[in-house]
Amino acid sequence: MATTKAEGVEQEALRVPFRLSMEYEYALGAHAERFFGELRDHGRILGVRCPSCHRVYVPPRPVCGICYAETREWVPVSDEGSLVGCTVVELPFIDPMTGERRPVPYGFAMVRLDGADTAMYHFLEETDPKKIYVGQRVKAVFCEQRTGSLLDIQNFRTLEAR
Amino acid sequence: MGRKVGIVATGQTKHGPKRLDVNLRELITEVVTRALDDAGLRTEDVDAVFLGNMEPFEGFMFPELWSVEGWGGYLKPSVKFNTGGTVGTTTTMAAYYYVAAGLYDTVLAVGFEKQSDGHTQAAITTVGDPVWERTMMAGAVGNFAVMASTYIHESGVTPEQAAKVAVKARRNACNNEYAHLQMPNLTVEEVLASQILAHPIRKLDMCPQSDGAVAMVIAEESRARKLAPRPAWIRAVATAHEQQYMGDSPKRLAIMRSQIAASQKVYKAVGITNPRKELDVAEIYEVATYAEMAMYENLGFCERGHGGKLIDEGVTSMTGELPVNPSGGVLSTNPIGATAMIRVAEAALQVMGKAGKRQVPNVRTALATGYGGNAWTDALILASD
Amino acid sequence: MSATHWSVRQKIEIPFQYTAGPAVTRFLQGLTSKKIVTSVCSKCGWRGVPPLSFCGRCWQPVTEFRELSGTGQLLSYSSSGGRTFGLIHLDGADSSLVHWVVADGGPLKIGSPVEPVWQPERSASILDIEHFRVMAG
Repeated sequence: MATTKAEGVEQEALRVPFRLSMEYEYALGAHAERFFGELRDHGRILGVRCPSCHRVYVPPRPVCGICYAETREWVPVSDEGSLVGCTVVELPFIDPMTGERRPVPYGFAMVRLDGADTAMYHFLEETDPKKIYVGQRVKAVFCEQRTGSLLDIQNFRTLEAR
Repeated sequence: MGRKVGIVATGQTKHGPKRLDVNLRELITEVVTRALDDAGLRTEDVDAVFLGNMEPFEGFMFPELWSVEGWGGYLKPSVKFNTGGTVGTTTTMAAYYYVAAGLYDTVLAVGFEKQSDGHTQAAITTVGDPVWERTMMAGAVGNFAVMASTYIHESGVTPEQAAKVAVKARRNACNNEYAHLQMPNLTVEEVLASQILAHPIRKLDMCPQSDGAVAMVIAEESRARKLAPRPAWIRAVATAHEQQYMGDSPKRLAIMRSQIAASQKVYKAVGITNPRKELDVAEIYEVATYAEMAMYENLGFCERGHGGKLIDEGVTSMTGELPVNPSGGVLSTNPIGATAMIRVAEAALQVMGKAGKRQVPNVRTALATGYGGNAWTDALILASD
Repeated sequence: MSATHWSVRQKIEIPFQYTAGPAVTRFLQGLTSKKIVTSVCSKCGWRGVPPLSFCGRCWQPVTEFRELSGTGQLLSYSSSGGRTFGLIHLDGADSSLVHWVVADGGPLKIGSPVEPVWQPERSASILDIEHFRVMAG
């Protein structure tokens, strides 16, 4: 039976460090451009509706994945919705996009806006895990200065207690 | 469909947090040597090699290029797969397709990863959509925490039930000489006292990050019968993908559409209508304790909402009606490029009767599953005939 | 953002630390002592730089290591941005090494004889060799 260790050599394990820094520039595409334009300029959230199954998708996309039908109908959705899932993150980890640790604890959830059939990840204002729950009503907190990104919504504020 | 194909031999490395004694190429050599020795074959007997690895974790592209000497592949064909958590099952299935189609007779499938060479959470960020998801992501832990909260709401499972899953996994791992986390004395209390990562997921609810590799020799029927007294025949395979964004299937752990679809497909292919009764063992890809219970439901082992009941009643323990993850599962060992293939290899060991201390008696039919990225699923049925 | 279309810029940084493994560790540590080490397969005789710990063609471990003189010949080269890198076939090895090349004592030509120029401070890195210089003759 073959082995892989070099015989008779005592040595410490050597690690070779290498920091890979990758820069990207992503084209948004027409649907995202319209969504973020609306968000930035009017503080409004838009989805698209599938002509076949009538699901309303946020994020909007050119095709309904289930029906493979083109989605051309734009519908406004509410800035209020419900939590489909939620957590408070306690573990600090380095955000690889900023190189900084996110300050913990922070609330993080899957939010389904009224009028949409799909949900999206976003931050919660609340950081006490006992004060958030699945089904809770929430409302988007918009930034005063908006640039056309999901962070134009600062986070979601809970509207009720259990 | 196509020729009958069987798994005839396996090899694994001792999985652990850091294998500092070997580089990635040497890790592959180690596991390939073990699988070939297990089959009584040499590299000349292998027609092609199928490699599974998640390149971002080591930042070393094209393992099919630089690992060639490690699997005896000079001037041989190979295909490399990179499908997230499902890498191992995708690679297995590809090997199966090529052999079933008659293109190759004897192939090697290898899954490998050295999580310690890179930074797993940083690399996992690239899974998220750059425009819609990446800024929000909180790693695999954040993802599973949110999904678990939905599952808890749907099913009412408790942290105690989740802790029982953690205990089952790390104790089962003690019968597995290759497992990373072996905790013979782990208790529910210890799990419940472990550090909260993101509510409700505690440290001991979550899988580790490991360095490790697995390899299998897969052959067409007549070769397989010569190479092993009891091959693990690959009887059915299925893959099902999800929609593109994480919120498109908002309850995607509790009601994992892809897992339901893929498992239903393989059950139908082999005539299984009651998986809990008709499967003898299952090796499933459970990233976290809550995920295992949700998977019991999605895979049809019990009714909706009864995942916690199954663990309470010991149905999925080593002595239960349907042992789940006798190997210790992903909760005990997780070198991502290998993890899903370890499920297949462990299921194969069970069918071949070579699972040693973790052998479930009289295994004729086994299920192996893979879970990847945005909740897509691979499912395989292995059987003794 | 262009006048007509919108794009999003992002940077992702991943820190790696590659495990060298026993043979490459030996090579890198050799560099600290200004030595270039090759592996020698006892069966096929393949002399590898960087060294292999296992010969994939003979399917057996490699246990012999040899020190090289460090001189060699330039197999090919390419210049860009004021620097030149080349493929160097070291005397006594079968595989070739990529490194920086400086036309110091002679012209850059296929076949030019080269030798390593060492850093004054070395740390078990391939850059312990500062570059290979073309020798006179």
